[in-house]
Amino acid sequence: MTLPAGVHFETYAQDRALVRTPGQWAWFVLMMVVLVALPLTGSGRVIGSAVVILITLVAVVGLQLNSGYAGQINMGQSAFMGVGAYTCAALSAKLDMPLWITLPAGGVCAALFGAIFGLAALRIKGFYLALTTIAAQYIFGFLMLKLPKEWFGRSEGLRMEPASLFGFVFDTDARIYYLALAVALVMVTGAWGLMRSRTGRAFVAVRDNDNAAEVIGIDVFRYKTLAFFIGAFYAGIAGVLWAYYVRYVQVDQFTLWLSIWYVGMLIVGGMGSILGAIIGTIVIRLFQELITVAGPWVIDVWPSLGGQFVFAAMNMLLGGLIMLFVIFEPRGLVHRWNIMKESYRIWPFPH
Amino acid sequence: MDDLIRHVVTGALTGLLYALIAMSFVIIYRAARVFNFAQGEILMVGAFLVWTFMSALDWPWWIAVPAALAVSMLLGLVIERVVLRPLVGEELFAFVMVTIGLLIFIRGVVLVAWGPEVRFFPAVLPVEAIRIGSLVIDRALVIGGGLTLVLAAIASWFFNKTQAGLAMSAVAEDHQTAQSLGISVKKSIAIAWGISGLLSTIAAIVFLNGKGMTFLASDVGMAALPVALLAGLESIGGVVAGGLIVGVAIGVAAHFLDPIFDGGVAAIFPFVIMVVILLVRPTGLFGWKTIERI
Repeated sequence: MTLPAGVHFETYAQDRALVRTPGQWAWFVLMMVVLVALPLTGSGRVIGSAVVILITLVAVVGLQLNSGYAGQINMGQSAFMGVGAYTCAALSAKLDMPLWITLPAGGVCAALFGAIFGLAALRIKGFYLALTTIAAQYIFGFLMLKLPKEWFGRSEGLRMEPASLFGFVFDTDARIYYLALAVALVMVTGAWGLMRSRTGRAFVAVRDNDNAAEVIGIDVFRYKTLAFFIGAFYAGIAGVLWAYYVRYVQVDQFTLWLSIWYVGMLIVGGMGSILGAIIGTIVIRLFQELITVAGPWVIDVWPSLGGQFVFAAMNMLLGGLIMLFVIFEPRGLVHRWNIMKESYRIWPFPH
Repeated sequence: MDDLIRHVVTGALTGLLYALIAMSFVIIYRAARVFNFAQGEILMVGAFLVWTFMSALDWPWWIAVPAALAVSMLLGLVIERVVLRPLVGEELFAFVMVTIGLLIFIRGVVLVAWGPEVRFFPAVLPVEAIRIGSLVIDRALVIGGGLTLVLAAIASWFFNKTQAGLAMSAVAEDHQTAQSLGISVKKSIAIAWGISGLLSTIAAIVFLNGKGMTFLASDVGMAALPVALLAGLESIGGVVAGGLIVGVAIGVAAHFLDPIFDGGVAAIFPFVIMVVILLVRPTGLFGWKTIERI
């Protein structure tokens, strides 16, 4: 007896698995091999950008949970990242704590800081919430510059030793890459799982209509605070990775500008989708790399543009992209990708 | 004591300047229900326009300033037409994002057009300070404060007494109702963006008069946010009161807290006020309706 074409699962767990078919497994294994083999290229530039992409990815996935799924606009993600980075740097440089303490500690401190501003979400929505998180950004900068010098080093920032785990020292870019890769895999998988759970469904319900969510028995206050807590936790973890990568933490690394870039990555990738966060981060970061590489070349050809052209071009590109996407494709690149996949599947029928 | 008085007076005058910038936020918010995060960048473009016309092209001020005002008004209209109009009826997040995109984009354009160098902003208003006893006050701020009061009075009159202004207030209350009564919502929103662009350039002249400036001058737009919030985002008259309250509070805070934190309090205090306002009274002092909360 032959079964009709198609994929048939016999248990619910099989049907809900993230990786379901042999084809998906093949792609998954291939991707893992590529990711693990990447440092073998040996190019410092490639590894460096890969590390930055992975760190950014963790922060942006957190922002996706907070803004994309739970609908709480957050323009303070880089401040939350800064809290994580400073916590890690202070614990590592002052108290000589190892990685397995600083990593969760950075995440939790950032999460608590984020949850404080998330409390505001109980009373306000929309623009007003965006303003509160902007305030978080400024207050973070002020605190880091004004708290006693022995704590966070004020404008001089904090220098720190490379991360070490049970005697293994992450002192080269390739080693940091594997650390960032492992952490990013755990965090992204966690995000995927979380969004398939009750919490994720509650987030979406709160985003779509918080009155209705309250009526069907979702504790809106709890889930709004939780959204900020989790989003900021991701930022904190990203901050710790950043601190160990750069080994120098300073307040100018965590600006409102960076937070705005993160939101821009979400818009370009697509709101409300983990895959969207991943696509957005990679696309925007690669564009940035491209401009950094192509910028000097362009200036060679037209010297009149001057050195600020690279920075300016990046701004025009990101600003233009955000506006174009909001106006023409508010659901982001991931939506385009899904349409492509769908039309491939049902080809030759029109979509 | 003298120091305290100086802080309070300067604070109040700075507050009035913030009120002027806040007015450009409020006028757009009233008409379009859009909170324009790019307001600071529009102000910066206005400032660079004045600089170009007066310093680079060497026009006399009575041509340069009206020209800059006209161009910035046009800029407001263009932004409304190209960026905001396609989004009418979209959800709020789209507006937040598109104005943020605009902010980033304008900053890039300004950097390409004018570069990051420090420029000396022409002294449109007299620069010599006013001295009363031991008190030294920036004359441009005093003139600017007066200007804020006059402009607020005109705007208040316009929105409450004239046909066009009342129509725009109707649009502010409810787009659909206004539309069904035969008022052109699109036209009202466009006018609001034009006026807002104009006010931004006036604010730029008061703020930067005779000082050095770079593209970072746009940060003042963020500092003016608490004033708009305290006023309640819909009230033009309230902006003046809000500006005075926030300004004096900043002055007093700077006087008492600066010695503790060695400076910098005046830059951060507006945001502390903002968080407090948002938590305690999100509608502000003179806002229209209760914010939806849950």
